[in-house]
Amino acid sequence: MATAAIDLKNIQQGRSLWQDAMSRLKQNHLAVFGLGVVIFLILIAIFADLIAPYSYEEQNLALGASPPSADHWLGTDTLGRDLFTRILYGSRISLMVGILATTVALTIGVTWGTISGYLGGRVDMVMMRIVDILYALPFTIFIILLMVVFGRNIYLLFFAIGAVEWLTMARIVRSQVMSIRNQEYIDAVISMGLPRWRIITRHVLPNILGPVIVYTTLTIPGVILLESFLSFLGLGIQPPMSSWGSLISNGVETMEEYPWLLIFPALTLSVTLFSLNFLGDGLRDAIDPRSAKD
Amino acid sequence: MPILQVDDLSISFRTREGRIEAVKNASFTLDKGQTLGIVGESGSGKSVLCYSLLGLLPMPPASIDSGKVMFDDKDLLKASKQSVRHIRGNRISMIFQDPMTSLNPYLTIGTQLVESLTIHKGMNKQSARRRAIQSMDEVGIANPEKRINSYPHELSGGMKQRVMIAMALLTEPEILIADEPTTALDVTIQAQILRLIKQLQHEHKVGLIFISHDLGVIAGIADEVLVMEKGDIVEAGPVEDIFYQTRHPYTKKLLASIPNTSKPGKYRYKRDNTSSPLLKLQEVKTYFHKSHSFLQSRSEEIKAVDNVSLEIYPGETLGLVGESGSGKSTIGRSIIKLVDIHEGKVIFKEQDILSTGHYQFDRLRHEIQMIFQDPYSSLNPRMTVFDTLAEAISLRNKQNNKNITPEVIQLMEDVGLNANQIRKYPHEFSGGQRQRIAIARALALRPRLIIADEPVSALDVTIQAQILDLLLTLVKKYQLTMIFISHDLSVVRYISDRVAVMQSGKIVETGETEALFSSPQHDYTRSLIRAIPIPDPEQERLRQAATTIT
Repeated sequence: MATAAIDLKNIQQGRSLWQDAMSRLKQNHLAVFGLGVVIFLILIAIFADLIAPYSYEEQNLALGASPPSADHWLGTDTLGRDLFTRILYGSRISLMVGILATTVALTIGVTWGTISGYLGGRVDMVMMRIVDILYALPFTIFIILLMVVFGRNIYLLFFAIGAVEWLTMARIVRSQVMSIRNQEYIDAVISMGLPRWRIITRHVLPNILGPVIVYTTLTIPGVILLESFLSFLGLGIQPPMSSWGSLISNGVETMEEYPWLLIFPALTLSVTLFSLNFLGDGLRDAIDPRSAKD
Repeated sequence: MPILQVDDLSISFRTREGRIEAVKNASFTLDKGQTLGIVGESGSGKSVLCYSLLGLLPMPPASIDSGKVMFDDKDLLKASKQSVRHIRGNRISMIFQDPMTSLNPYLTIGTQLVESLTIHKGMNKQSARRRAIQSMDEVGIANPEKRINSYPHELSGGMKQRVMIAMALLTEPEILIADEPTTALDVTIQAQILRLIKQLQHEHKVGLIFISHDLGVIAGIADEVLVMEKGDIVEAGPVEDIFYQTRHPYTKKLLASIPNTSKPGKYRYKRDNTSSPLLKLQEVKTYFHKSHSFLQSRSEEIKAVDNVSLEIYPGETLGLVGESGSGKSTIGRSIIKLVDIHEGKVIFKEQDILSTGHYQFDRLRHEIQMIFQDPYSSLNPRMTVFDTLAEAISLRNKQNNKNITPEVIQLMEDVGLNANQIRKYPHEFSGGQRQRIAIARALALRPRLIIADEPVSALDVTIQAQILDLLLTLVKKYQLTMIFISHDLSVVRYISDRVAVMQSGKIVETGETEALFSSPQHDYTRSLIRAIPIPDPEQERLRQAATTIT
């Protein structure tokens, strides 16, 4: 076997889908940029206490709403509070809502959708009808109900939002699983006698990740805005705490007189959204071996 | 005076990997009433060539690098979009490969037929409708006045292709381009459609460009033939020259690869009469339910497999042939419990598969493995070859994980793949190589019985021959028993020791391969065998003449 020199070392090293995905992700500059921004935002949120030049609740009524200046980089709100500081602190709530609520939605949605789509038949029928019923419940009533039963609690808020957002995720996952389920490679591993959970984790889930990741990156900004809506109803965070959502909805009210109160929080959210989308698209391509540029 | 003249036509595609030349310096002419056959394997550029004649190529990524297409003293490549649109579907018509997708499912066929007449001929609705009915009658659709109001899904595949032909001929075109018009059809239907195309072409005196990968079909229909390989026209000439005085090595290779129905296969197994069957099906019935709603428990039953009994002896290869919907695949899937059997017994190695418990069956399962039709969907796109094969090996051999790598390499070599490709993903392989991987995966479990469900139907003819020979070698080497399911009788004859013919869920005839092919007993078997096109122009003409008389 001298002619067919087999690179044994190369073979034994093996490469997993994830290692491959990481190396492909690194080649995608836009995605790396997105990842960088997201990490940067998370760090800012964690160290808000150290960075913030002012206190988020300290009012300066004499100052009132002032445009950006050397003292107050992004200006102040109508109560004279530093906008930069409030955005910093707001990122804590907003990112936490975004990440935790989406994680909840992702976990429930993927599990539910996978079981429903993979088993099919009557199980699928019953599970999807439950989803339909939950869809039909008015969202606010559902959350108010949760709040009434469990008391108002910021973590419960995350859970409540997640508990609503998973419905769409479950539907997307189910339809993806159903189409993968009909692929012949699933039949092949069934006839090889692979246990069901390994079929799902090794063969089904990796193949539905693309749409799931894309939908996740769309869910996060949606969830961040949803929080502001709940706060507006008095169900979310309470003043003087701030979140991006509440800053934006306050900014809308005073848009004509003090436009910076809308522009800066909205800009922050947009940058986050873009970064997440770049990252999401990058991840989707990275986990698909077919997109490799060799 | 040719009606179509193509000169030095070159087409390329821009892709991420760079420029791909799909058609290189193609030149040919087409006369009135003549049939030009274009043969080639997938990727040879035969479809691209014809699509470019009608301006149907997406540009970009496609671009025309050089050449002229002269039709009616005009260069179609330089003509305005408007004038091409007027020619397309009017003076040059096209029939596509898949009749299932080339008709709009939301419109009645009448609406679709009338449309082309009102657009191109400026007819009013009533007269267009009369003309449509007349043309449906012409393509042999019974009861056209009623059929004209049906939707595409209400018609069978053959009927739909007839509608497509009617539609293509409605405007009385001068040129008809048929892109693999019978590839998606069953062999008996294919014979009918080919006869119809030929007869109509004769009546209407159209110039026909007929694209096919099937040399048997080409032998029967074409006057002139172009053989294409990787964008080049490697050989061109009258059909007899191509078949009898073949010059180019590629054409020779193509002709040599066809499993010829008139010649028997290589491997013949002698059955030991004393041995007991490895697998026995006893009155197996597999029904599918077409349920209507959630609450309605009573539903329509489709008898996919209807009372089938079969015995397969160790070491033999049983060919299972039938047309689409005959239930041949369902039998295969029933044996390995991919679908539930309604009634009957499946006995493997003296054990009733259906009554064994879950865990026992998993062990038996390793001994029965399946090879699937579509190599593009039978491998997980997110797993490397190594992972795919290692997974199968570790299922059989749960303790010893150390020796997996040498075993994977051994398997790769068994199926003729280079072990250096072990870390590649399925999409980096060609169709034939993927099928080899699928075969390796099935072998990894050291099965006794292989169920091969149309394993070569999705492959080109030269690749098909390689895979068939690989299967024969492996069957011998590992003393495998095989059920070979196929719609293609020539392939079945090449590989099988015994053949079972299926029709609508029932086995109508079984017999030793040669006996069955030389003297078929059942009418259906006879009509199947008669319908196969022979890749030899003279014999094919004789066959066609014989079938039209009967």
